[in-house]
Amino acid sequence: MSSKKDQKDGGLQAVFTRRDFLKGTMTAAAAAVALSACGPFIKNQEKATLELRWLGWEHYNVKKIVDAFQEKYKVKVSSGFFDGNSEAYNKLKAGGTDDFDLVMADGFWPRLYAKQGLVQPVDYSKISNMKYVFDDFKPPNYMLLKEEDGDRMIAAPNCWGGYGFTVNMDKVDEADAESISLLFNEKYKGHLSTSARFEENIALAGILVAYRMGTINAPRPDGKSFNPYVLTDEELEEAKKLLIKQKKLLLTRWNDEDTLERLLRSESVWASPEWSGIYRRIYFDKLDGKTDLNMRHVLKPKEGGLGWVDTWAITSGVKDSEKLELVHKWIDFRLDPDNMAIVATDVGWSPTVDVRDKVPQRFVDSLFLNNTSAIRGLYQFDAPSSPEKWERVWSEVEAS
Amino acid sequence: MLFFFVLPLLTTVVISFWRTESYTIIHDWNIDNYVVLLTKHTYLVFLGRSILMATAVTLISLIYSWPIAYFIAYAGGRYKLVLVLLTSAPFFTGIILRVTALQQIFGPIGIINTALINLGLKPINAFMYSNFASGMGLVYLWIPFMILAIYLSLLNFNFDLLEVAKVNGASPIKAFFEVTLPLNWIGTAVGIVLVFVPTLAASITPRFLGGVNGALFGNILAHQFGATGTWALGSAMGVVLFFVSIIAIFLVWKTVDLRRSGFTGGDI
Repeated sequence: MSSKKDQKDGGLQAVFTRRDFLKGTMTAAAAAVALSACGPFIKNQEKATLELRWLGWEHYNVKKIVDAFQEKYKVKVSSGFFDGNSEAYNKLKAGGTDDFDLVMADGFWPRLYAKQGLVQPVDYSKISNMKYVFDDFKPPNYMLLKEEDGDRMIAAPNCWGGYGFTVNMDKVDEADAESISLLFNEKYKGHLSTSARFEENIALAGILVAYRMGTINAPRPDGKSFNPYVLTDEELEEAKKLLIKQKKLLLTRWNDEDTLERLLRSESVWASPEWSGIYRRIYFDKLDGKTDLNMRHVLKPKEGGLGWVDTWAITSGVKDSEKLELVHKWIDFRLDPDNMAIVATDVGWSPTVDVRDKVPQRFVDSLFLNNTSAIRGLYQFDAPSSPEKWERVWSEVEAS
Repeated sequence: MLFFFVLPLLTTVVISFWRTESYTIIHDWNIDNYVVLLTKHTYLVFLGRSILMATAVTLISLIYSWPIAYFIAYAGGRYKLVLVLLTSAPFFTGIILRVTALQQIFGPIGIINTALINLGLKPINAFMYSNFASGMGLVYLWIPFMILAIYLSLLNFNFDLLEVAKVNGASPIKAFFEVTLPLNWIGTAVGIVLVFVPTLAASITPRFLGGVNGALFGNILAHQFGATGTWALGSAMGVVLFFVSIIAIFLVWKTVDLRRSGFTGGDI
């Protein structure tokens, strides 16, 4: 006598015969063959949607602009982000040219990429919106878009700016405000701050040191003009001493703009280098009657200052013509004055394209759009001449 | 284990014997990175700071965790689990959010200083951008591990033993140091390791809370893999950190006497 469960199992065995098994297997095999035949078709369909991949600063990932580009060209745009040039450079060196079609870089960095064969020439004839770019950001006024030993363009400009100081003029004397020495002034002990970026801290101290030593305008060992990222050992040593002395004057070194903004607004910090975004926000609040803070942004201190023009460069991984066309379209699209106006108002960076008739006057003033020639007097961001040497200097400053 | 631990560790060891030049790794075998780390005052300062910080954070966590874990295990009743889970509340958010929250409390315009200013008192800057703030942040970060380790140990502890000690004339303090602590030392030791080792390598908390004199070994190590691109030196720093951690674990392990810890796992 069998149980109910056994009967049920036995029933199943009776229904499912060897013939049925073979029939089912054949059907499954036929279906698999049919599906695999569809494979290439499906793959081609996927391939038809081109993907453009760019590596850059996250704030440039403006949804409105990206969506409009995707819609217009029926492509997919994806992005990767970094905090600093060296990080992006390391990514590309580690095989990132196959992962990204475009890379953003500022100052001297595009030339370094070009020297290393990580990027390829940009064809300006395919970028019609280059005509809207201020002359200050094109050769012969701005030469860093060109390869060092040739005539080919290696990058297209995007935005520009300085690394000046935002100063609380109710707390800092007028006579002190326009000099880098403000950041090393005992008078303001406990109310100064700098960013945690080691390159720019050393470079700023390097400008002051070279200015004081009189080497800033003297012939340089490399035969080139002064570059605060290429300091002599003597200048580097003096810069280190200055930075060590500065430590006791600083409230903190900020890692993010939010922190600095809080410190400036609360008047805990009276002066700090920054990219001017915080100054602009406080300035707008003042215009709107929301604050009484009397801030000034010193774009170029009397000894000289740091600046940057960030750019789009095409990686050497872009091989086929269709993709090459697309990356040029992207650059052209980004340089469209309407899109650049969005970058100015929504992101807060100063475009290299003339958007003065497209943005409110307060943006024209605070983004220095009437003073684009200032870029010519600013030392451009660069890689330290010897990262190893600079690392030692910075570690010694941090350990002191 | 081989893929996620041994392989990355071996890679780090290999790179530590190479060198970098302008963001490029040069496969040139040498021991320069170790010579620099072990002879240059700079890096020894960072290592010393980290060891001091880790020791202080571990001690504070230990002193703070024992009463909490004890209370939960002894008087938690049916809410024991809930109470233990509550101690891990800081982990409900990410580390950046936790650090930001601490900035809002201790910062120059944080809750404490704002209250002091409103009371007509001077704000205390030591609360923020100092090693004190960094230490507080790290205690806040790692203390749940210490509480959990001690609590789990106390779950198996027979509290009646304390009554016996009391009957035999031991004061509560003596009973704690001669009965409770030795019998729960394994859990405590695990807690010590779980707090000490990660604090030794800490970088994010001191970066945001530590101020200009707050850079620890972990900060400088992270710097080698980021802005400076000096990966070979960074790898050597990683290897040094690994060995310091191993030494710390060994020293803690040496304090464990299985015969006095209530261990019942068989032969020793």
